[in-house]
Amino acid sequence: MNVSLNWLSSHLDLSGKSIKEIDDLFTFAGVEVEGIVSKGIASDKIVVAQIMEAVQHPNADKLKVTQVDAGEGQLRQIVCGARNYKVGDKVPCCLPGAELPGGFTIGETKMRGVESKGMLAAAVEIGLPPGEDGLLILPEDSPIGVPVKQLFDSDTLLELEVTPNRPDLLSHYGMARELATLLKTPLKSLETRSADVSSASSVRIDSPAACPLYTAVRISGVTIQESPAWLKQRLESIGLRPINNIVDVTNFVLHELGQPLHAFDAAKLTGSIIVRNANDGETFLALDESKHILTPDDLLISDESGAALALAGVMGGQESGVTESTTDILLESAYFTPQGIRRTSRRTALSSDSSYRFERGVDPQGVLTASALAVKLILETAGGTAEPVTQVAGEAPVLTQPVALDETKLNQLMGSSISLTDAGEILTRLGLSKLADGTWNVPSFRADLQRHIDLVEEIARVHGLDNVPSRLQSSFVPASPVDAAYDADMILRRRLAALGVFECQTIKLISDAQVSDSLTLRPMQDGDVIRVKLPLSEDHAVMRPSIVPGLVASAARNVRQQQKSLRFFEMGRVFRNSGGGKAKDQESETLAILISGGTAPTGWNQADRQADLYDLKGLINALVPNKTIRFSPRDRDGFALGCDIKADDQNIGIFARLKPARERELDFTSPVYVAELDLAKLRKLLTGIEHVEDLPQFPGSSRDAAMEVATTLPNAEIENVLLKLAEPLLVSFECFDVFNDPTGQKLPADRKSVAYRFQYRATDRTLKAEEVDAAHAKVLDALASKAGVKFR
Amino acid sequence: MKEQIPAIQSEALAQIAAAHDERSLEEVRVAVLGKKGTLTLAAAGMKDVPKEDKAEVGQLLNAARSAITTALEGKQSALQDLADQAALTGIDVTLPARHVATGALHPLTLIRDEAISILRRMGFSLADGPEIEDEFHCFDALNTPADHPARNEKDTFYFDSGKLLRTHTSSVQIRTMESAKPPIRIIAPGSAYRRDEIDATHLSVFNQLEGLYVAEDVSLPDLKGTLEYFFRELYGPQTEVRFRPHFFPFTEPSFEIDVKLTVKGQAPRWIEVAGCGMVDPAVFDAINASRKDKAFDPEKTTGFAFGMGLDRLAMIRWGIKDIRLLIENDMRFLKQFA
Repeated sequence: MNVSLNWLSSHLDLSGKSIKEIDDLFTFAGVEVEGIVSKGIASDKIVVAQIMEAVQHPNADKLKVTQVDAGEGQLRQIVCGARNYKVGDKVPCCLPGAELPGGFTIGETKMRGVESKGMLAAAVEIGLPPGEDGLLILPEDSPIGVPVKQLFDSDTLLELEVTPNRPDLLSHYGMARELATLLKTPLKSLETRSADVSSASSVRIDSPAACPLYTAVRISGVTIQESPAWLKQRLESIGLRPINNIVDVTNFVLHELGQPLHAFDAAKLTGSIIVRNANDGETFLALDESKHILTPDDLLISDESGAALALAGVMGGQESGVTESTTDILLESAYFTPQGIRRTSRRTALSSDSSYRFERGVDPQGVLTASALAVKLILETAGGTAEPVTQVAGEAPVLTQPVALDETKLNQLMGSSISLTDAGEILTRLGLSKLADGTWNVPSFRADLQRHIDLVEEIARVHGLDNVPSRLQSSFVPASPVDAAYDADMILRRRLAALGVFECQTIKLISDAQVSDSLTLRPMQDGDVIRVKLPLSEDHAVMRPSIVPGLVASAARNVRQQQKSLRFFEMGRVFRNSGGGKAKDQESETLAILISGGTAPTGWNQADRQADLYDLKGLINALVPNKTIRFSPRDRDGFALGCDIKADDQNIGIFARLKPARERELDFTSPVYVAELDLAKLRKLLTGIEHVEDLPQFPGSSRDAAMEVATTLPNAEIENVLLKLAEPLLVSFECFDVFNDPTGQKLPADRKSVAYRFQYRATDRTLKAEEVDAAHAKVLDALASKAGVKFR
Repeated sequence: MKEQIPAIQSEALAQIAAAHDERSLEEVRVAVLGKKGTLTLAAAGMKDVPKEDKAEVGQLLNAARSAITTALEGKQSALQDLADQAALTGIDVTLPARHVATGALHPLTLIRDEAISILRRMGFSLADGPEIEDEFHCFDALNTPADHPARNEKDTFYFDSGKLLRTHTSSVQIRTMESAKPPIRIIAPGSAYRRDEIDATHLSVFNQLEGLYVAEDVSLPDLKGTLEYFFRELYGPQTEVRFRPHFFPFTEPSFEIDVKLTVKGQAPRWIEVAGCGMVDPAVFDAINASRKDKAFDPEKTTGFAFGMGLDRLAMIRWGIKDIRLLIENDMRFLKQFA
């Protein structure tokens, strides 16, 4: 809401308060100051000066060198390019140090080699409305040397954000009332006129729930014309455009008192005003020329002709408004129930200063006051005669009730930082009054104060948290499962970062197209994707079922930035339905890793090496070093080399490479390997060891074996034979070489040589060579018979 | 013999002195002290030496062996020193390092972890809840009126199921109080969603950190002390913290928190960092109704809650001007946090 400081000052004395003080005052009242715009001249260093001499600049055709009298006892030389003045004119002179709008500070300078000690200014250059081209020529009687600001009106516009619980602040009077409370200064009394009222037959309310109170005054013989200067200035000061005297008065009263009004052209009305619900499908043409089809939930101002004159509290109709030819008006001032206005405003997408206030709640007791002020101002600015009585239908609803203030609870919440007396004094300043039974009567404009806590809030707000002590105390709490998960995740994150992987954060809403990059632990079926109803764009239409699509997109972006080494991970939630859209939506947490391109930057002693799948396998193993990570092939739609990732025997995630066609599509020049791991399972693997193992007391022996097998034989088959055999003396084995020769010269092309080293040891003795040989023979036998291995 | 031994000795010593590496030294040793070495052969000739000369020749032999052995050891040690010296010369320590891959945590993780570390020191434990929420946990139980603008489909993401993406982590307050009794002292970091177009200051998916303390006799001094302490731990002990009255449906009184920060070369200014307030009794009423008990008796139970935007804290901490940098994952950005 825009508030003019001058306007505000018409209600209370703010003299001597700096803008900073007023800013703080609003801020600590709970009203956020979003902007402060000074209008008029700000600087004291812009003074009235008389031009005593002006001669041609020796080096520039378009410049003159002037000598001006700025009341300093000696003349000041200023170079000036304007042409609209003559010697003897008085003009604004910006002295060195003067700050101009836009943060520009005047200094002493040389212009084309001639000294210039200041600037002679045009109106717009010093913050005044633009005038004629060239310098601002001041009145002849302007005193030389005085600040120009003294000759012009200035004002400050405050852009304020009022919270939804405080509709009483949505007017200058309401704001002034609040400031007066905080400053403990008196509010200038509002000039009000009590209207004579009659419960008239000329207004009928058919929907008392939506409109408890409706008042109307007829004013005849008005002249529609431009508003007087003071009125136009008020409206312009808060950024409103003056229209004509009647409309301007209603707008003025709205921003003065917070009560929206509406003026009808009485000639366009037929019989009584009828406040009724719209018929289903009834059309309404608003004065902004928009057309609306209404529902019975919308409230209309109508008459005996049945016309839709106005959408109650939201906007007037095009047909019934005041025009230049209007002579008689009917002035509406009413109380409409907030919820109804809010629904209509939202449904029709129509909002106005009126609906903004009605939907937050206006003061029911202010309806007639506002009407009376408007009538007075209309008579002043438009002439005419007002009906002596105001037609009133319904009655002002009572929205407040007495509220008790409990001292014990007050002390508890405030830490006994305020006495009951002082608390009561704050409430009194806020317009509440203590009743005989000790409860507090709440003024009609503070319908937000309904409960004990509402009173405490007011006391705390006015008292200020500055005046409340700080208490530093805590209690013991047990760690939760979420704590354990968080700690495990941080371990994983730090390990990955130490392993040279960069953590990413991608958006959890992805596009439909990205879903095909998903690598989910369980394959997706139709309907498993969770789609938001009204996406902001196609790019953010579904909840990610996997983190991989986000990482792929991030990696692709980095490829476009010429990054050669891509190593990314992200942890977080993924979302899916577990039954084709018919079961529950599930949220789980995963870790996704992507690697592609160089494993490290190349250097003078480092050759380039492109990451392969064993790098990613190694990264995963490094996360859980005391487990053995195995990849077990399982096809995945849309990916190549799909594998289940197993830690010991448990499935913990999926690995794959992007299909080469997809890699080309995204301009990757190296294979892209991705993995998505189930964090719930991974965290459990981080628990560490329970007992240390005794160190071996006796030396072991190793034996190597070079095996010749079909190139198609997976290494896993060899491992499986060894694991199944469970030879007690075989403590470990390791594949240390794989060789094949596609030319078929050293080895048939369909065969490969796989070399293993086997380590034998007993816990209770040093093994004899014969024992080792016997165990090794068993191992080789098993490999030969179970895996078809030949030994070379 | 008496003449021969000194000759062998002097020749051997000359050869040792002339040896220029381990190998030539070894050749000298073999040539003199080996099985067929000159001194070995001379020693073998002892049997032919007349008895009366044996003592003298024996002495000569021993003296020669001792001198030669000493010379050999001395030379070997000298050669080793030379080799060691050679091994250490010519190394250019100023050549660049071998690259070791280093990664980095995301700035959001860094700021979240810092915030969580501080709050855990203060006795908060972690809690969480679903991001796909229902209206009850996101709005109703948080005292949000049925026609509140935040419930609008223009501001909040809904699903056909009627569920929605939580607009704040405050829903975790409700989830926690439904399943636990006071005292409750939790923090909940997590994502929240609003239908905001993505620009330099808005993300439709952003990150918050929620806090809740509910017990008997939780007061404004607790709220103030807790959050002042938190922000001074986060931004430095001298940090000024101020509480501006504000409005949230689920707390009363409510405040927004500003901290006064100085960016190098700029005047200090107040920056909004969090919202907070005392839990509104209407929230306890809703919880009790949901639990079907009186575990959160509004007559006895009080509490405070707070929420802050982690993306914003990260932006303030590192002077990040465009929030989109936090989700674009540009390596040139991420590397700065290594």
